[in-house]
Parts: sequence; C-alpha cells; structure tokens
Amino acid sequence: MSSTTPQPSHTQPSHTTPVPNTFTEEEPRDKYWYKRAVFYEVLIRGFADSNGDGTGDIRGLIDKLDYLQWLGIDCLWLLPLYESPLKDGGYDISDYMKILPDFGDLGDFIRLVDEAHKRGIRVIADLVMNHTSDQHPWFQASRNDPEGPYGDFYVWSDTDERYKDARIIFIDTEASNWTYDPVRGQYYWHRFFHHQPDLNFENPAVQDAMLEVIRFWLDLGIDGFRLDAIPYLFEQEDTNCENLPATHAYLKRVRAEVDRLYPDRVLLAEANQWPADVVEYFGDPVTGGDECHMAFHFPLMPRIFMAVRRESRYPISEILAQTPKIPENCQWGIFLRNHDELTLEMVTDEERDYMYSEYAKDPRMRANVGIRRRLATLLDNDRNQIELFTALLLSLPGSPVMYYGDEIGMGDNIWLGDRDGVRTPMQWTPDRNAGFSSCDPGRLYLPVIMDPIYGYQAINVEAQQKSASSLLHFTKRMIEIRKRHPVFGLGEFTELNSSNPSVLAFVRELGDDRVLCVNNLSRFPQPVELDLRRFEGSTPVECMGGVPFPPIGELPYLLTLPGHGFYWFTLPVTHRTAGTKEE
Amino acid sequence: MTTSLQGLLAGWITGQRWFAGKGRAIDDLSIDSEIEIAAGDPALLHLIVCVRQGERRTRYQIPVGLREHLPDRLGHVLIGTCRRDGREVNVYDALHDSALTGHLLEGMAGDRRFDGLGFHPAHGAEIDTSQRSLVLTAEQSNTSLVYGDKYIFKLFRQLNPGVNPELEIITALADAGSAHVAKPYGWIETELQGEPTTLAIMQEYLQNANEGWSMALTSVRDLYACLEGMPAEDAGGDFAAEARRLGLATAQVHRELAEAFPTGTIEPPEIKRMTERFRRRLDKAVAEVPRLGERADVAADAFDRLSDLGHEIPVQRVHGDYHLGQVMRTMTDWVVLDFEGEPGQPLAERRALDSPLRDVAGMLRSFDYAARHLLAGHPNAEGLESRAREWSERNRAAFLAGYSEGGGRIRGDDAVLLRALELSKAVYEVVYEARNRPSWLPIPLAAFR
Repeated sequence: MSSTTPQPSHTQPSHTTPVPNTFTEEEPRDKYWYKRAVFYEVLIRGFADSNGDGTGDIRGLIDKLDYLQWLGIDCLWLLPLYESPLKDGGYDISDYMKILPDFGDLGDFIRLVDEAHKRGIRVIADLVMNHTSDQHPWFQASRNDPEGPYGDFYVWSDTDERYKDARIIFIDTEASNWTYDPVRGQYYWHRFFHHQPDLNFENPAVQDAMLEVIRFWLDLGIDGFRLDAIPYLFEQEDTNCENLPATHAYLKRVRAEVDRLYPDRVLLAEANQWPADVVEYFGDPVTGGDECHMAFHFPLMPRIFMAVRRESRYPISEILAQTPKIPENCQWGIFLRNHDELTLEMVTDEERDYMYSEYAKDPRMRANVGIRRRLATLLDNDRNQIELFTALLLSLPGSPVMYYGDEIGMGDNIWLGDRDGVRTPMQWTPDRNAGFSSCDPGRLYLPVIMDPIYGYQAINVEAQQKSASSLLHFTKRMIEIRKRHPVFGLGEFTELNSSNPSVLAFVRELGDDRVLCVNNLSRFPQPVELDLRRFEGSTPVECMGGVPFPPIGELPYLLTLPGHGFYWFTLPVTHRTAGTKEE
Repeated sequence: MTTSLQGLLAGWITGQRWFAGKGRAIDDLSIDSEIEIAAGDPALLHLIVCVRQGERRTRYQIPVGLREHLPDRLGHVLIGTCRRDGREVNVYDALHDSALTGHLLEGMAGDRRFDGLGFHPAHGAEIDTSQRSLVLTAEQSNTSLVYGDKYIFKLFRQLNPGVNPELEIITALADAGSAHVAKPYGWIETELQGEPTTLAIMQEYLQNANEGWSMALTSVRDLYACLEGMPAEDAGGDFAAEARRLGLATAQVHRELAEAFPTGTIEPPEIKRMTERFRRRLDKAVAEVPRLGERADVAADAFDRLSDLGHEIPVQRVHGDYHLGQVMRTMTDWVVLDFEGEPGQPLAERRALDSPLRDVAGMLRSFDYAARHLLAGHPNAEGLESRAREWSERNRAAFLAGYSEGGGRIRGDDAVLLRALELSKAVYEVVYEARNRPSWLPIPLAAFR
C-alpha cells in the first residue's frame, strides 16, 4: 500500500455532532463519512408543504429535520430541485443554477444545508449531467443558432443512422434515440425521453460548463451529488455508447476538481450496470479510487426480493460472490426501494419473468423494465418480512439508502400514472392531507394514500412515534445499532458456511469489532448449524437486547430462527488467560 | 485391572455406528496390522483389525490415539486403558483429536510412507497443513473430518480389497477439468490381500454448499403453504430452474465419465436377462407387500416393453447411487458427490458399466420422494396429493429437459429403458419402506401409475 494513500479514520464523533460549517472551516473534516452513513432519499415535493400550496418545499423539509435527526439519518439525498418544465420529475433541467420555484429559492436551500449540518446531517442532491430539458436556454440557442457559442452543445446529426448499437432505454415511450428538430433541420441525440437532448461532452465548453455548475453548488455548501445516468455522457460509433473511456476520463476530471476545492464531498454514481462494470466508476484502485466515491449496487436489490420469495440464500450469495472488490476509499450504496421502479434490468430473462409474476400480478404495477411498488406493498404488508429486509439493508456491505416513508411502511397507489404511485405525500399525522399540507385536498400534487390498510389514518409518523412496538421505532433502533458498530459500514464481509439453504449467515469484521448476522429467508422456523471455530471462545451477544448466547466452542454452533427471523450478534474478542486450556 | 488392546476394541467396536455386524456376538477380534504414525504423547497408531462373527470376517480400520492423561474434551471417545511399554495409557478414537489428525494431513502433503501405509497428495495438489480438523457426524460406513473449511477427509471404516471407485472417478474427472466434482487433494492406501486398497480420501470441502435434498424440501414446503389454486410455477420457492441446472450438470458428468473410462453396450439377450431379474424382484415384492399387487401391472408392462427392445443399450461408468442427497449446490453450480456406488456391494459390482439412465432414474425417484415425503403423517395429506404430483412432475420434467439440453441421451426407446429402470427402483423402495418405514410406503407406491 502506498504511503500516500489516505486512510479512512475509524474513530468518529457520533452523528449528533454538527457538521462543521462549510464556509469557514479550515479544520479537518471527516473525508470518509459516506462509508458509515445512513442515507435517506427524500422527495422535496412529497415531504412537507410549508406554504399550503399543495406541493412540498424546502422550508417544509427544514421543519422536518428534527424528525430525521431523531430517526438517525446521516445524509439526505434530494431528487432534482432545479428549474424544470417537469416533464420527467425534474430530471429535465432547464436551469442548473436556479431552484424550482415550487420548492423555494437559493436562500431556502442555503438555510436547509445550514440547519441540516447543525443536526449532523449532510445533504446531497441529484445532478443530471448527461442531458438537459429541451427548454434549457442552451438547447434553445443550439437549435436556433448552429454557428453560435451553443451550436455544438448538443449531439446533432443529419441522419438518424449513427450509434445504432445503443439500446433504447425507455422502450415503452421512445422509438429511437434520435429525434428530428424542425427548427435546426437536424436530428438530436437523446438516451432518455425525446424532450431531454443529450449534452455533447466532446465539446470542451460543455465540460467546463458542467464543472461550473458543480462548483456553484459545492460553494453553497452541498455535500455531494448523486450523478444521474453517468454511463451515457459520451458516444462512439460501433459501441453501445455506455461506459466509454472518454466518460471515465471526464469523471476523473470532475473528481480531481472536487478533491482540489472540497475534499470531503461525495460523488455517488447511478450506473445501472453489472457490478463488474460499475466498479470502473470508482476509478483507479491504486489511488483508492479517483472517480466516484460511491456507486449504487443495482443487482443486489431484486435478488434480495427473489431470495426471500424462493426461501433460498443463493440469489444473494451469488451476486455478492460476483461483486468485485472496490477501491479502498469507495463504498457501495445499497437500497431496497427508491423513487424509480424496482429495476429488473440487472436480472436474467428467466428471473425477470419470475419477478413479474411474483410481485406484479396487475400489469399496472409494472413500468418500463421494472415494478412500481413500495417496500411494504411488495411484501404484502408482512411486518416480519419488512423487518427482515430492513435488517438485510442495514447489514449487507454498503451504505444503506432508505426511501422516505418506508420507515413507517407506507403504501403506494398503482392507479397514478408513470412512477407517481410511489411518490405520494409523506404521512405525518391522521389529520387532513396526512399532515403534509394545509391546502384543500384537491390541490395536492398527488392524492394521499387513503386505502384502509396503508392510508394515512392507519399509517403515519405521529401514531408510530407514540407506539414503542411500531415499525418506525424498530427502524430507528436498527439504525442506532448500526451506528454503534462502524463495522457495518467499514468491515469486511464474509459469508459463512450454512447448513441450511434458507439461512443467510455472514460476519462483518473490522479489527475487534465483529458482528455475526443470521437471516432466515424462509417463512418457516429453521435451524442452522454454523461453523464458527474461528471465533472459538467468544460469547455472542445479541444486539437488540444485549442477551449473551452460549459461548462458541469447537462444535458447529446451533441456532434456531423463527420464520423470517434474524439475529445480529456482536462477537467480543476473548483474551484467553494462559494455562486455562489444556495443551 | 487392565485388558488387552484387542479386548478393549472388541468391547468398543460393537457400539460404533459403522460397525456392520450389529446384533451378533463377536467370536474373535485380531489386529492384522499396527503401524505407528506418530510416537510420543499423544501417539497415533493405525490399526487394521479383523472381526470374526461365525463364518463372517470383516476388516475395519481404526486409528487410535494414546495418551497418559486424557483431557476432558476427549472423554467421550475413550476406548479404554491398557498397559503398553510398561505404562498405563488411555486408548481413544484418534480422529476426534485434532492434535493427532494433523499427522494425516502432513503425511499426504509430504507423500510419506509408514511401513505398509502410503500417504499421497493428489496430482498437482498443494496441501495446507495448518488446518485443524473436526469430526462430522458419523456415517454408516465411514468417518469424515473437515480440516478448517478447506478439506473433507473420508476414512473408510470397513475395508474391502481394491481401489475405491470414488478415488478413481474423482481423480479422473478432476484431471479432465470437470466443474462438477469436488477436487481431490490426497489419499491413503495400503495393500490388502495383494491388492492396493484405498483407506481414506481427501477432497475439497465445498464451502457454503447445500444438499439438493434440503433445497428441494424447502421448495416443496413453500408450495404446500401457498394458497390453494396457485400453480407450482408461480410459487415463490419454485425449484424447476435448479432442477434444470442439475440435469445439465448430470449430463456433463455422464459425458465426462464416458470419456475418461471404458464404455460398452448391452446386447438384447442380456437385456432380456436383466428384465427377468426385474420381474423376479417384482414378484417377490408383490408377495411381500400385497398392496403392490393391484399396481404391479404397470411395472410388468414396462418390463415387457424393455424385454421387447430389439437393440443394444450403451453402457459406461455411472454414479450408481444417484439422488438429491448426493448433489450439492455450490455458489456457482451443482457438484456431484459419492461416486462410491452402493457401499454394501462388492467393488467389482460397484465398478461395473451400466446405462447412465440408471442415474437419471434414481434422480427422478428422488424428486418423487422429495415431493411426497412431507405428506407422511400430514393432516391434509389427501388435499396436498395433487400439489405433490404437480411439484414432482414439474421438477422431473425440468431435470429431464436440462439433461437433454446438456447432451444426455433420452430419445426414442431410451424412454422405455428409463421407465423400466425407474419402476425397478420403485419396486426395491416398496420392499424397503414396507420393512423399515411403513408410513412412507405410499411414496414408492405412487410411482406405479
């Protein structure tokens, strides 16, 4: 290991320590906070409405920061909050330097970062580099004045025959990656919707403009970006136009700029690819990683669902065994659900059919190549399964990313269009509009969930905060335990030999901090014998209640688990006294 | 009071799970060979003893440890105390003492010889001698140790002269690069009645692997618990994709066996003789289990059709005792274990060429067992009968599809042979269950349809 490689620091202040103010600090800040953080994805639009216009806003979110601190969240991930015609949930940006007026203004944003940092919470936001809205002044200038300064900002062509090997991602709505623009009289390239033209990153001016955008937000105090759709920045003939070397080269440039000016910020890659391809987005392992700090692990999520339905650990074991090692300073982002559909791109055809038939019996629940449901509805509101999934999310290798509302088991509304079914207002109280907004119910950006099982009168934060046995309190406790043990974020992962195909057992290890996790993926009670000889002499202590279990001996360690049950144990290191053991 | 070593062993051996002569008195126990593998305290002695019970003589292999003071942890494997070289020592089953089993590992790693005992590493194998051993639960005919999580060491307790077919097969298949056998690491052999005889085999320990049987039962249990009316292919625990992969692996192993060992054919007259044997076994079974009588026609018809088969059948080395308990699902694929054939049979018979469809038939029967064995004593056995059939048919079909896809031959008249082999196996099962587990009798009986 090179002596210049920065070492992650393992002794961190607890999360309630405020994040030092971005604007005045000279003191060192924790560069590797993201390796231990619990992320929380929040839809500003759907979280809390401060001004009664039926749409959530930044001030509303600020009012709820105390709740997020109470829950134990370390970092908020905000969906796009830029000015946009909102034809694609804000992923169609029409001005990178402005906040969408519905959400507030830049002053509100600065206060959000400030208030969050006071509570020890960091803030990252989505950034779409690949494309803009067709309403963006750059595109308008480009189509109207091909010879002007923006003429080459987009990928224009006289034919729609180029880059034939690139797949069409939104196969439900788009027929081609090229669309004809009658104004300029040429075709423009778009990997997503036709109203989202791709920027031309071959143009140095585009590269510089995007760096300008990044610096702008980092100067405002943002702690990083989730980089949307990054495999597609560059195009090249006779390739699938994904993961090209030029794309990686540009990301290295972005990272170098971030490191130079803002050394504790994070870049989180959204590259919906196989782990073996995704690791490329971490960059060079010799440097500890010189592209993105984090990347989402996409194939893990559908396989967790599959493993539990099949009552077999193999879908999870296989994908983790196939996941390559990542550079030292990097981290996976793992999730159960997010604002998109349950993505099935990373499963085989056979598995995809299976997932469809298992989880999306009504065709409306399907979208593009995925399934649009929330965690609770995907699991038939089975509390034991929801708890097991939460335990897996918080203990498998990577930093967990929770989706707003899943901590209370919110439902979805499959009758809403596109992906709106899982973007309904957060349910705070049993009062009007679920306490989300004081507006007339008809004015809400989307109706609140009202069915008898998942409706806000049954499922809301207020009621669950009052009940110690609620899912919310369970989730909070699990997050607490995770945060007591940095090993969950930083430790090695080793799957254990398990005598039972329905039981997934693994050890996380970081020096003397060792945690054993045993998960029963079956609905039936199961026994398991584990080979724990490596930890002989240690007395496992269950993490929820602190109850010591029988010490580990030479023989296989027998545990019994209830249906969909799980255990987390710490394995304290025993210091053997000399002479107490024969030989 | 001290007893001779022979006396101690005679008192101890009858209580061992692998002792084949249970229920009959031992007339004599003699020590055929005694070889010191490690001297000192603890010491390791390798014994081959011969037990005489009436006319029957059986040889057993017993590595024993000798210690002056026996630690508590070995108390449960004490054989007794006796005088040796003028001092009183504890004699115990050495396989339970990890302080001694390391010598076996070192012997194989070093290609060493102790008098008549040859220790050998497998071709190209590097053995890590730092691994500590643990005894796995005892089995019928051998004792297995796991070294760390790397090797599984199988010591054959009852000895018959000859090279163990398992060693022969896994060595050949591993050398040919098979992905479906556990890599061999070493073996121990000696000479018995002038023939080289395998005493123990060490193979790769399949970490984090599970038996096909337990995976299949997980699937069946899940189906039984599903709401009524849900078809098997929609049940969460569907096993068909695994069954298909198992079929592929089976076909590949058969091809590899055919390439590594001699092959042949059985001519029609021999087929007729084989069919005769099937018929005689059926008649005896019907006499013993009258409930089989009403369904015996099904088997008789299948045997008749086989008898009429006018052409030869290709034969080769096969697994011989193939079922879901003999296959392990590893993280990447299926691995086939225990190429020993049926341990009770003479070695020549275990090595005989046979149709690969015998293995296929064995696995098909195993799917049927997996589907139905949870029904025994189930309060809703009748209601679940159709689900059991559905699961069995679905997974059998998937296995056969995988087998064909992998190049296994099941076409035309092969189906006739396969059906006859399967029913012949079911006849054997009927008799076995009637004698040993009457509540399971409906399982093989359901095969006669």
